[in-house]
Amino acid sequence: MKKIISEQAFLLILVSTIIIMTNILGYSMPIRDSILGVGVLAIIALMGLIINKIMSRFIKLPAMMYVSLLGLLLASPVSPVSELVIGTTSNVAFLAPTTALGAFAGISLGKDIKDFAKMSWKLVILTIFVITGTFLGSVTIAHVVLKLTGAI
Amino acid sequence: MKLRIKQYAKIYFVTLILVVVFDSIGTLQFDVGAGQVVILPMVFLIIAGSILGPQILKFFTKEEAELGGSLVLITLAPFMAKMGISAGANLSKLVAVGPALLLQEFGNLATILFSLPLALLLGLGREAIGACYSVNRDSNLALTTDIYGPNAPETKGTFGVYIVGSVVGTIFIGLLSSIVASWNIFHPLALGMASGVGSGVMMSASTGTLGRIYPEFAEDIILMGGVSDMLTGITGIYMAVFVAFPFTKWLYNILEPKIGVEARAAKKAKRTLAKGEVK
Repeated sequence: MKKIISEQAFLLILVSTIIIMTNILGYSMPIRDSILGVGVLAIIALMGLIINKIMSRFIKLPAMMYVSLLGLLLASPVSPVSELVIGTTSNVAFLAPTTALGAFAGISLGKDIKDFAKMSWKLVILTIFVITGTFLGSVTIAHVVLKLTGAI
Repeated sequence: MKLRIKQYAKIYFVTLILVVVFDSIGTLQFDVGAGQVVILPMVFLIIAGSILGPQILKFFTKEEAELGGSLVLITLAPFMAKMGISAGANLSKLVAVGPALLLQEFGNLATILFSLPLALLLGLGREAIGACYSVNRDSNLALTTDIYGPNAPETKGTFGVYIVGSVVGTIFIGLLSSIVASWNIFHPLALGMASGVGSGVMMSASTGTLGRIYPEFAEDIILMGGVSDMLTGITGIYMAVFVAFPFTKWLYNILEPKIGVEARAAKKAKRTLAKGEVK
């Protein structure tokens, strides 16, 4: 368990430095705020991963759920550190992790790029269907509920 | 572990160089007839990373590519923390938004009914589950990788739709929202809510287009889109774990034996056999 956690902490430090770079270069945020903000996010992420390791003995749920829930609780009005957490992370752009993500996703994709190339036109059609389905589903329900509640 | 550190270091330094180069170039934005095309630096990194991989330039080995996959999840962890924080900070606002905004989140499930049969007809296997359970934006990619592991077919499905969505998503949703608006059957506020699919860039593209079509509602559309997008970010993960994934798997298990690739191949074989007997 210790070994897994120290490995994940090491990897989190690695990717955090790249996220900090993106936040500074791509989103023109101050250097100090970027380091502090990404640092806080990485600590919450690590805590979430540790909670997941402990909880997985009892119930198997995705680690990402604990990470997001922990962020939510720490920033909610009942949390004593909410202002600190919200304040320090406010200068981290939402999209800051995506550039590094793109690189790792691309590197991972590299091992089956030929499969993906073969599937490419199918994936394009499917993506268009998936987006259309989500949009139409949401707009229909939103419209009906707004009508029923008399909002429009 | 020693060898691993060497491989991680290689991935790390290459990524760092690519990030510095493409983030300095920044996001490309240009107008086309129907809307705006937004190309984030990540799109170039996906292309660069995959070209360097074992099947093209062979700069990265297969094992290194697999390590890259495990880094995807680590990179998304701080993003999920940020999502959670933004939800917690806006908790009171979210409680106040009313039933329409909350219920339309269930509309996101409609896409499963819509796209899973198509995926099976196109010949996808278990990839279909990952590809169809959601609109497959960042938090969904984190979730699928987390549940199935970076090399599972389900993750490949999510990954594929995620990547195509990153490239064509913004332009397509802008187009889609203007087409749906032209039907004149949905209220602009409902269209605004539907724009929040769980991706900030796509939400802006859609609400931007709608704002131009309905200038008198522009402000409310952007507000609704923003809140709905945030809501998808929070509810999306629980919805996926407890509703969307189980439902998609259930539907897959029903449909796959009927219209899946193998089922259709078996039917075809049977028919040719029957024909043979007649002869």
